[in-house]
Amino acid sequence: MTAPSSTLPAGAFPLGGLTTDASFPAFFRYRALPGDRVLLTNLEGNFLVLAADEFRAFASGQVDPGSELYARLRDGNFLRAHFDTERAAEGLRRRKRFLGYGPNLHMLVVTLRCNETCVYCHASRAPMEATHTDMSRETAERCVDLALSSTSPGITLEFQGGEPLVNFDVVKHVIEYAREKNATIGKALEFTMVSNLAMMDEEKLAYLMAQRVQICTSIDGPQGLHDKQRKLPALKLASGEKTGGSAWEAAVHWIRRINEAYEQQGLDPTLYRVEALLTTTRDTLPLWKEVVDQYVDLGCRALFLRPIDPFGFAERTGPRLEYPRAEYLEFYRRAVDYMIELNLQGVQVLERYAAIFLTKILRGEDPNFLDIRSPSGAGIGALAYNYDGGIFTCDEGRMLHETGDDTFLLGHVSDATYRGVVGHETVRALVLAGNLDARPDCVNCAYQPYCGVAPSHSHKTQGTIFGRMRESSVCAVHKGIQDYLFEKIADADPGVMEVFERWTTIRPREHFIQSVDP
Amino acid sequence: MGEVAGMPDAQVEAEVAEGRVTLVVDESVYPLDAVYGATYTFIDRCYVLLDRAAPTRLRISLTPKHDADADALRAYVGELQNELLSCAWRSQIVRENRAVIEAVTLRAVSGAMGPPSLDELEDFDFSEEPFEDPLGIGLSWEEKYKKKGAADGPSAAAAPAADGGEERDADDNRDETESA
Ligand code: SF4
Repeated sequence: MTAPSSTLPAGAFPLGGLTTDASFPAFFRYRALPGDRVLLTNLEGNFLVLAADEFRAFASGQVDPGSELYARLRDGNFLRAHFDTERAAEGLRRRKRFLGYGPNLHMLVVTLRCNETCVYCHASRAPMEATHTDMSRETAERCVDLALSSTSPGITLEFQGGEPLVNFDVVKHVIEYAREKNATIGKALEFTMVSNLAMMDEEKLAYLMAQRVQICTSIDGPQGLHDKQRKLPALKLASGEKTGGSAWEAAVHWIRRINEAYEQQGLDPTLYRVEALLTTTRDTLPLWKEVVDQYVDLGCRALFLRPIDPFGFAERTGPRLEYPRAEYLEFYRRAVDYMIELNLQGVQVLERYAAIFLTKILRGEDPNFLDIRSPSGAGIGALAYNYDGGIFTCDEGRMLHETGDDTFLLGHVSDATYRGVVGHETVRALVLAGNLDARPDCVNCAYQPYCGVAPSHSHKTQGTIFGRMRESSVCAVHKGIQDYLFEKIADADPGVMEVFERWTTIRPREHFIQSVDP
Repeated sequence: MGEVAGMPDAQVEAEVAEGRVTLVVDESVYPLDAVYGATYTFIDRCYVLLDRAAPTRLRISLTPKHDADADALRAYVGELQNELLSCAWRSQIVRENRAVIEAVTLRAVSGAMGPPSLDELEDFDFSEEPFEDPLGIGLSWEEKYKKKGAADGPSAAAAPAADGGEERDADDNRDETESA
C-alpha cells in the first residue's frame, strides 16, 4: 500500500498503478483523509471511511464477497451488483424535501436606521435621523400578504434592520396584522427579531414575550472585542445620568434578562435562550477560547462561528477585517475542539456549522439552512423585503442593492404577485446556479451531498452567480469544516460521536409557533 | 504588444500603455457559449471586445475601465482563463446531468410557486396562441410533419408524403429516436 503523497493537494489520493474496475463500484465520490484513510460518499449521501488499502481493493474490484468489507460496501449501497435504486431514490427524496414548498423565511427590514455603528456593516445601516428609511405600515402589510401566500406550511417573519427596535410601532403592527390574517390561513407562523438590544426596555420586552417573538442578538466575544467592533454612542439623559457607551454591556444585560423572563414563563431553560450570532473578524481569530467561554458564560447553547462576509462592509474596512481562510479554519478547529472538550465535561454548547453538516451526514436529513443546501434557498426558501418594499431573493441581495447592484431585485410589494416573485427569471437562474449537480468541482466533490454555496456570494466575489469553487472562500470554509468533521467521524471516538449525535438532535421550539395556543 | 509574465505569448499579449490585454482562444477547446459566459463576467470592470483572429480562433480584448498596470492586466487575463475553463466545463456538466438538473429545478420552482389561484386563471388569456413557437416545439408530430396541403385530422397527418413535402432532417430523426 502506498501512503498518500505529501505533494498531492489535500483530499487527493495517489491512484498511480491502480487498475480500476468500473463494473464493481456503484457511483461514488471520494476524498483522502489524514491517516491513510479514504472517505467514500454516494448519490444519496451515504458515507463510508475505508483504510487506503481497502479503497484500492474497492476501486479495483478486488473485494472478497465473503468479507466484512464487502458487507459494509453493500450496506452503504456502494456496489453495482447490489445497487438498490429504490433506497437511493428514497434517500435523495428525504434530503431534498425542502423542494416541495416555497419560502418559509421572510426577512423584513423595518428600518435601515441603527443606533450602533459596526466596523463590518455599512451597506445596511443609516444614521438615526434617516427616518425616510423606516418601513411604513402599508408596505409592511403588503410584505405580510406576500409572505402568507407562500406554499410553505411554516412561515417565519424575521424583523431586521438597521435596528428593528428603532421602528417598533411597525414591528407591532406586523405582528398584529399577520396574526389576524393568519387566523384564516392557518400557517405555522413564527416571529423572530434580530436586535442589538441596546434600545430594549421592559415595556417592549413584555410585549415581545406576550407575542412569543423569538429574540436573537449579536455577541462578537468578550467586551473588549465586541465594543471595538460595535460602537454604541453614550447618551446623556435629562437627569444628567450617562447611559450606553458599551454595546456589549447593553446586549449582555438584556440577554440575561430575557433568559430570566423565559424561565419566569416556565419555559425549558435548555431550549429557550436568546440566540446570539458572532461575526468572526481578524481580531477574533486569536480569541477562540475567550469567545467560546463568553457564550457559555451567557448561557448560550449554540455558537455560530460565521466568517465575515463581503456584503456589509465598505471596501475601505474590508482588508482590515478579512483574513486568509486557512487562518479561519485553524481558529474553527481550535474553537470546536474546545467546545467538544466542554461538552465531554457536561457543558452543552454546540457549533452551528457543525450541527448543520452533521445533521446531513449522520441523519440523512437536511435542516434547510438556506445557504448550505442544493439548490440554494435564494427566492425559493427565503425572501427579503427592504424598508421601501423592494423584494429580494436574499438579504445579501438586498445589501447589494444598497451599493447600487440590483441583480437580486425581484420587484416591489405594491404590485408583485406571489407566483410572479418566486417564478421570477432571476429566481430560476439562481436555482440553476445554486445546484451543485451543475457546478464544476462540486460534481466531483465527496462533500457534495451535504454542501451548498449561495450564488450571491459568488456574484459578489467572482462576478458570476455560478462561481469558481477553487477560488471561492465559501467553498474553502465548507471543505475545511467537513474535513474536520469527517476526521473526527473517522476517528470514531465514542465520546465525540455522542456529542455529535446530540448536536444533530433537532428539538422544535413550539412555544414560538403562533398557531399553537400557549 | 508585450508579453504577460508566465503566460504563453502566442495567445496572450498586453499593451500596458494602452491598458489592454488580449487573449486568443481555440474554439474547438472553448465553445462559443463558454466564451460568451466567461467574458460577460468582466463587463462591470472592463470593456470587452470579441472578434475572430483566424477561422477557428477567437480574440478577446479586455480594456479595464480604470487604470491597470502590468500586474493588474495579468490578473484580469488570468481570471478570464480560469473562468473560461469553468464555463466550458460547466456547459459540459450541464449537458451530461441535464435530466437531474431539470428534475430538481422543476420541482423547486413548481413547489415554491404552487398552483395558480382562481384569480390568476381568470386573468389568463386562453384565446391567444399559447406562446411564440417558431420551431414548432408545441406541435404534435403529425401537425409538424404533415404533408403540405393535406387535410387536417389524424388520418391525413398519418398519410405518407408522396409529393416531396417537408423532409425530416437528421437531427429531427435523432430526437424522435431518443424520445421514443
Ligand atoms: S462548495 Fe466546495 S466543498 Fe462544497 S461541494 Fe462544492 S467543491 Fe465541495
